[in-house]
Amino acid sequence: MAQDLRETRLPGVGTKFTFTTDHGSRVAVIQHLDGSRDLYVFRHAGDEEPSAVLQLEDDESRQLGAVLGGAYERPKIVEELEMALGELAIEWVQVPPGSPAVGKSLAECAFRARTGITIIAILREPEPVTGAQPDDVIQEGDTLVTVGKLGQYPEFRRLLTEGP
Amino acid sequence: MTLSQLALTIGLLAGLGLLAGRFGLSAIPAYLLAGLLLGPHEPHVTSLIEPSEVTTFVAELGIIFLLFFLGLEFTVDRLLRSGRHIGLGGTIDLTVNAAVGLLVGVIAFGFGFPALILAAAIYVSSSAVTVKGLIDFRRLADDETDLILAILVFEDIVIAGVLGFAAAGGTGVSSTLVAVAKALAFVTVSVAASRFLRKPIDAALGRLPGEFMLLATFGFLVGMAAIAKELGLSEAIGALMAGVVLAETSIREEIEERFLSFRDVFAALFFFVFGLSIDVGALDTVGWLVAVAVVLTVLAKLVSGYGAGVVGGFSPRQSLNVGAALVAHGEFTIILAQIAAGNDAISSGDRKDFVAFAGLYVLATATLGVILMKESKSIGRRLFPPRLA
Repeated sequence: MAQDLRETRLPGVGTKFTFTTDHGSRVAVIQHLDGSRDLYVFRHAGDEEPSAVLQLEDDESRQLGAVLGGAYERPKIVEELEMALGELAIEWVQVPPGSPAVGKSLAECAFRARTGITIIAILREPEPVTGAQPDDVIQEGDTLVTVGKLGQYPEFRRLLTEGP
Repeated sequence: MTLSQLALTIGLLAGLGLLAGRFGLSAIPAYLLAGLLLGPHEPHVTSLIEPSEVTTFVAELGIIFLLFFLGLEFTVDRLLRSGRHIGLGGTIDLTVNAAVGLLVGVIAFGFGFPALILAAAIYVSSSAVTVKGLIDFRRLADDETDLILAILVFEDIVIAGVLGFAAAGGTGVSSTLVAVAKALAFVTVSVAASRFLRKPIDAALGRLPGEFMLLATFGFLVGMAAIAKELGLSEAIGALMAGVVLAETSIREEIEERFLSFRDVFAALFFFVFGLSIDVGALDTVGWLVAVAVVLTVLAKLVSGYGAGVVGGFSPRQSLNVGAALVAHGEFTIILAQIAAGNDAISSGDRKDFVAFAGLYVLATATLGVILMKESKSIGRRLFPPRLA
């Protein structure tokens, strides 16, 4: 466990995070003001020149962070669940701003009839809707929890953005 | 300036800028060189562009954008977090280099106002060149980089103070004091505004749709610059304070994002326009002065940077890197020269010499500084070989 994670401000550049690994290497992450990151690796903590420097865009660093953090690791139980679900997927779909579905009830939108996808819950502030009913109305900023087959999602997303 | 001249200018700027980048050099000397080539002075074969009202105006916008962005970085919180280095390292850098600058200034102009401005121009390193070098040469993760950046922040603050009277001072002690008082009042009002009007400004600008937010911010920026100029201060201090007022708002990042390309274009044109007024013919009079100043600057920056490093607890090699990184001079030296060139209190001969000096001095130090920075680690290894345990 790296105990010595240090945060330093680099005025005009961004923020620097450094720590030394148990194996004696030094890692520094520079977070630039524009959101991009540099990853400096010094094989030995005392090295003057970095062994490698990696330039990462914002989304790439997030992805790398997720991989390193174990978010992409699939516990065995999930694998079994996936088998059981087969082609069936549970997806969280955000209602895009300006969607024609906003202000309409689930019955009016008729997503299930048109695409085969079922909305099982709606996530919104302050109170999420669990067990969504046909007369529940979609609002700006909602996230829909849906069940359906993977192949049905492109059409569902199109309906949500453009309307029928 | 006609459209075809502008097209030629921008083409040359892009070409020379790219070429400089190829050799790992900063674009600022390349832009100055482009101006020097196309300007009305030597070499005459390529004298295609005359300084005019248009070029002056474009240069003014360049200064405004450069200082606006500097102001946007100035928040109390950020300054406090620049860390422990800023006071001691910044003071060593100021004492040594302002003294050397004053020496050169007195030799050149005799003791007086122009010498003071020259001292500031020789004191201040280039944040733009240094930061680019730190990124290009992969120095961001080095511990001494914190000290380098802290010293640059300290220099920025000092120069902000100098800008307050650079345009108006010099006609006499009392009128210079009036200029300083006006500058202080202007800064105080702006800082107070940034404290108390932050929320209304934030709300007003934040609610505007994109295009109008852009126009309103631009209007505010130019307005502040105009007010400062009407007060007899420089447009630079107005633009700087416009940045300071907006620095604490929630839309700061959006402003930076939207105005970045404006800054880059107009800053490039600013350096170019300044290059137009560099008279290489003046080498007879200022050539030796530039040579002396460059040698003294390299020595003084290396010594003061080294001293600041050692005092800050860094190793000799790391301290050498600090000194080498601060040799390059650039945007602030040019801005100070440009503002001094607009100050009637300085005799026209002195102004011409000042401009030629600043241009050639920046060309030399920016190039030398980048080379020194690139090589400082291998020089350090030779000067301070690792001790065998």
